[in-house]
Amino acid sequence: MEPSNDVALDIIITNVVAVFRTRCHLNLRTIALEGVNVIYKPEYGKVLMKLRKPRITASIWSSGKIICTGATSEEEAKQGARRLARTLQKLGFKVRFADFKVVNVLAVCSMPFAIRLIDFTKKNRPIASYEPELHPAATYRIKTLKATIQIFSTGSLTVTGPNVQTVATAVEHIYPLLFECQKPLRK
Amino acid sequence: MSSRVCKNCGGTDIDVDQARGDAVCMGCGSVLEDNIIVSEVQFMETGGGGSSAVGQFVAGDASGRNPTFGEGFYTGVGRESRAQTLQNGRRQINTLGHQLQLNQHCLDTAFNFYKMAMCKNLTRGRKVVHVLAACLYLVCRTEGTPLTMAPFSCFSALNSLPRFPLQVNVYVLGKTFLTLARELCINAPAIDPCLYIPRFAHMLEFGEKNHEVSMTALRLLQRMKRDWMHTGRRPSGLCGAALLVAARMHEFRRTIKEIISVVKVCEATLRKRLNEFEDTPTSQLTIEEFMRVDLDQECDPPSFTDGQRKKRLKLEELEKKIGEVQGEIHEYQDEIEMELEQSRPKLRGIYASYAKTDIDDDDDDDDVSLPDWEEREEEELKDVAEHLNRDLCDQLISGEEEEREGKEERPPRRGPSLASLLGPMPTAASLGLPESISKCIGEEKENDGDTENGELDLNGIDDDEIELYILNDKEVKVKTELWLKQNEDYLKEQKEKQERIAKEKELGIYKERKPKISGSKKRAPIHASTADEAIEKMLEQKKISTKINYDILKELNVKPSTSPAPQTAESLKGATPGAQRLTGRYRKPANVPLSLGTPLSTLGKR
Repeated sequence: MEPSNDVALDIIITNVVAVFRTRCHLNLRTIALEGVNVIYKPEYGKVLMKLRKPRITASIWSSGKIICTGATSEEEAKQGARRLARTLQKLGFKVRFADFKVVNVLAVCSMPFAIRLIDFTKKNRPIASYEPELHPAATYRIKTLKATIQIFSTGSLTVTGPNVQTVATAVEHIYPLLFECQKPLRK
Repeated sequence: MSSRVCKNCGGTDIDVDQARGDAVCMGCGSVLEDNIIVSEVQFMETGGGGSSAVGQFVAGDASGRNPTFGEGFYTGVGRESRAQTLQNGRRQINTLGHQLQLNQHCLDTAFNFYKMAMCKNLTRGRKVVHVLAACLYLVCRTEGTPLTMAPFSCFSALNSLPRFPLQVNVYVLGKTFLTLARELCINAPAIDPCLYIPRFAHMLEFGEKNHEVSMTALRLLQRMKRDWMHTGRRPSGLCGAALLVAARMHEFRRTIKEIISVVKVCEATLRKRLNEFEDTPTSQLTIEEFMRVDLDQECDPPSFTDGQRKKRLKLEELEKKIGEVQGEIHEYQDEIEMELEQSRPKLRGIYASYAKTDIDDDDDDDDVSLPDWEEREEEELKDVAEHLNRDLCDQLISGEEEEREGKEERPPRRGPSLASLLGPMPTAASLGLPESISKCIGEEKENDGDTENGELDLNGIDDDEIELYILNDKEVKVKTELWLKQNEDYLKEQKEKQERIAKEKELGIYKERKPKISGSKKRAPIHASTADEAIEKMLEQKKISTKINYDILKELNVKPSTSPAPQTAESLKGATPGAQRLTGRYRKPANVPLSLGTPLSTLGKR
């Protein structure tokens, strides 16, 4: 999605988090002992399984709930989740692939200009908040989209939202606001 | 007083005396009331001769009960909990405020914030200390008092416990503060590091030159702002760096350690700020020049310049790698050319037009209109080489084996795709081509029609690869041993717990401590044969409403044969025994015996 300027902004999705259920009880010990890339944490009650092909780390609970993180796109997340379910199936559990949902998408984006954070915060109170003692970035939360944008003074943005479309919309939404408080970067 | 009727004589003339608290009938003289409770204010004399009103102030939202009614001799005891919390809060605010030398106005404002927070239930789930510290910090921010979060994090709690400094984590404090500011809709203005300079300078004890050093430090700080060092950084770190340089400029030997103890950042931060300042052009000026001249040029934020530097280094590395790979590409190109010449069947004539669609799909080459197959071949080779080049540049770092595989599969691809062309029509060919390409190169396609019923769609999942994820028996044994060794402690704990539970069970003491789900009332299960019975029993146990006479309801269920018509007639009569009226209202429509005679209007009334 491009803003209505000549410049095209690259929104790079760095992380997609998805959950799904296998609708069956899983024995974590079996998975831990027979899987190749598996870490078992009994005190937390979960197993971490890492896949290589879509780079995905999955937390598996014995209730059958699985959280997949580390994918770089929604399709990849789904593919990885299905692979994971297939692996569990091969280990002998009667897994079913149910309730797959992408829960969070994290993307980074870079503006071609630097941003005056204090000005920006003043103009956008109370949606934006900036506490230099706590975090170097200003946080802008869009309630309607349920998206959060962290704005750094160098012009980099970190956007999190429930799906890829929301993220793109959020960047579009915030671009004009940032454009007002910009400071041109001399390269 | 409302005039009432005298019970003895029926007279309405009643005299009420407020002073004596009597109500007497004037006709017969009988006393109707004495000791009337009046709502008047009474005064009593205090020690110094003044008078004060009798009574206690009760808050509007207070609960009714007053435990010391009639016997309280100390007014502080027995107040309800909210007042106690507020009093406690006020005390703690005052203590901390005096430690930080805040004036009374600030403390009062902080207390008001605390009261507001209580009303909005922001104190629930948070430690009182945190909320109080956040309130105080909020006051400091709104007033513009130069205080960082650091002093708030050392808060000595005034409890019944002996005094100990409660170290509140700055980030926890910050979170509470942000929540508070948001809920109370208070916009705290952003903190300016310039405000901190006088405070820190005072703490560093520059003596007479205090003012000069402060001014220099302020100038330095403004310069830093222009050079974009201050956004996103802790103001205390910047102040520390500015003060250090200013002190040295005025020939005060303040070591880094002294500055750190005042400003409360770590040494690494300070050094980093100094280095960043060194990178700016201002650092090259001499002291006098700096005081006079102000450079116009503004720098980029230091994190940005660092990022640029890293990018440049990475690009250089990539360029080197590209040079190496380019050489390899040329080798492969030669190999491919040879293979293609061998494997491709020469097509002429009508089939040449079919072969055209092949090119379009593969090589993005729309402008090919050469009739001759061999010439087209060369074009295709060039395009293939370009395409491969592009692929390689993209996948440089991630394994060259994959690329080699891809390339080798491309020559055999030519064979089957042309074979499918020769048979069916061009339209079918254009449909068939993508599938064959994807199969050969090994891409995986997504299917949309799954997961509705929870079935696992195996399309596109490579089983062989997944086999790799599962260990064979020997490996399982090894891993089991390793895992058991690693997690010995945890397993021991679990065993002990199991043993303990078993013992307690034997002894009969075992109390199953399951997490209590609050709100679930333990009730005996209802055994009933019909739905009506079940409802009856449930209603018995769980009295839903006090206004319903359940006995009459039961009668309704017990005698379903009596038609509701006589009951409605009774209710219509307007007699006020409540039970009958209720039966009219709560008549169950299911009990109406349907016959042809019943008017439809009765069925409609529910």
